[in-house]
Amino acid sequence: MHTLADYYGKTFKFDKLFSFCPGCGHGIVTRIVAEAIESMGIREKAMSIVGIGCGGFSHHYKEIDALEAVHGRSPAMALGYKMGLPDNVVFTYQGDGDMSAIGLAELMHAANRGVPITCFMINNSVFGMTGGQMSPTSIVGQVTATTAKGRDAHTHGYPLLVPEMMRAMNGVAYLARETVVDAKSINKAAKSVKNALECQIKGLGFSYVEFIVPCPTGLKMNIADAYKWSSEQALSYFKPQVFKNELEQSSEI
Amino acid sequence: MKETLFLKNTETFAESMIRCGVRCHFAYPITPATDVMKYSAVKLPEYGGRMVQMESELAVSNALAGYACTGKLGAASTSGPGMTLMQEAIGFMAAGDLPCILLDAMRVGPGDGDIIGAQSTYFQATRGGAHGDYRIIVLAPSCGQEIADLMPHGIKLAYKYLTPVLFVVDGVTCQMTESTTFAEPYDYSADFDTSGWAYTGTKDHPKRFLVTGSYTHEQGYEMNERLRKKYAVIREKEQMWEQEQVEDAEVVVVGFGIHGRMCKDLVANFREQGKKVGHIRPVTLWPFPDKAFEKLPASVKSILVVEMNHGQMVDDVRLAVNGKVPVHFLGKTGGDIPMCTLADMSRETGNLLKGA
Repeated sequence: MHTLADYYGKTFKFDKLFSFCPGCGHGIVTRIVAEAIESMGIREKAMSIVGIGCGGFSHHYKEIDALEAVHGRSPAMALGYKMGLPDNVVFTYQGDGDMSAIGLAELMHAANRGVPITCFMINNSVFGMTGGQMSPTSIVGQVTATTAKGRDAHTHGYPLLVPEMMRAMNGVAYLARETVVDAKSINKAAKSVKNALECQIKGLGFSYVEFIVPCPTGLKMNIADAYKWSSEQALSYFKPQVFKNELEQSSEI
Repeated sequence: MKETLFLKNTETFAESMIRCGVRCHFAYPITPATDVMKYSAVKLPEYGGRMVQMESELAVSNALAGYACTGKLGAASTSGPGMTLMQEAIGFMAAGDLPCILLDAMRVGPGDGDIIGAQSTYFQATRGGAHGDYRIIVLAPSCGQEIADLMPHGIKLAYKYLTPVLFVVDGVTCQMTESTTFAEPYDYSADFDTSGWAYTGTKDHPKRFLVTGSYTHEQGYEMNERLRKKYAVIREKEQMWEQEQVEDAEVVVVGFGIHGRMCKDLVANFREQGKKVGHIRPVTLWPFPDKAFEKLPASVKSILVVEMNHGQMVDDVRLAVNGKVPVHFLGKTGGDIPMCTLADMSRETGNLLKGA
């Protein structure tokens, strides 16, 4: 009997039922990360360090070793892991709350240190698992469970532009913001995932990709409206782009 | 070949851990633990390892947890407020069955406290300083030589039980310079096969994942049951203490670390005068050596606990003694002389002898 693994490889676990909500962007990012690992032939030396929140479920759908970190500390744990097994490929998979709120210090220092690890931030502009509260990346005017009248910059501060903060860091080898709101963007995002992992394998330095994704449940919208909101509202503030790619100096894949 | 070195005891800790197999030491500068990282930064590269200076103690303990996942022996050293920040990942490592070696160069608290030595983190060390029902093994050497002598044992305990092992040394002892004899370098962690659990990639094993959070209430129950059973075995098998002249003592003085060391002189002085004083020095603070107090001779009329704090271990002594004899406390923390002197201890012991 053939299984889906015969056609698509071992990394992505097609047999596992998703626990992500319908329309959630995590499913797409989880799959493109798994496909990158499979196509690059690094499954057996891959280590996934997931954060706390919905992103923590991501490893359920990959047949690779995994660690669920303390909230926000995935980059520090990834750094320690890389010290122990420098030839393995370690990546973190964190939401915007985990990475840009409680875990910002660990991210910034891991990036600045330039250790070859890879961090993925899945930015849906809300704390999803706890029920749609404001996160550092909620956009101005966004209504959340904790900003009933919308995010007000004077009271709540401005949405955090995370990759922009790392632009000037010499230790960063790959830095990109992508989105999964349409097929063309997903293809670009998949390429960024591969580039980020390739930077790590080549030892060029720290690599990072942010993904702008919809969270219909957290946004309290139907799926179509949530995608529309991400495409129009979120992307008007979080502009997808490759900020830095040191593979271009060597050979881009 | 054995080697005798004249070192500050923080350096002795560093030298001991490196000789016994630690190859990665995570740290953040904090008095009085900083000398450990200064020493390891120079010394570890000679052994093919490195000291990794992190951005905070939160990052220190979490990076250590990541390193421990690979099955390798890592260490971290800190003091006071740093120990508080490190609790997050220490609790995580306890839950995740990850071995490592830790040092708390104990200083005065709470808050930012003071940099002078103390034994004020006894509760934090022995009760599980983070949330949840967990304990870690706590060793309390009383001098440089004992730091070196306990290191192999500490590493064996860490790997045998897959748990963090914490050395607690008061900041006064930490800053003493003493002659310590070290055994030939030997990696004690290499005696343990980690291939059955380490998260090294799926080449040699099906997917492994370390998740300390539970997806069902049953999983939370099971994790705690597993830990409870582990701690019951440790409590039964791993109590360590030193005792002297307890057999016919009227007063038993109890102290750990530097006060335990002072008890030797105290007992010798009283015995010279024909007065029946003995002492018990806990070496493991968790598990607390209850067994040392189970068979106290009938001659014991009272117990004096001396600590560099306002009474922490005394609670454990009272639990172990369980009301059989009165337990008194003498302690001081902070100040230019941040502890009771031998004269203070002698006076209090003398008073108890008169009462006895």
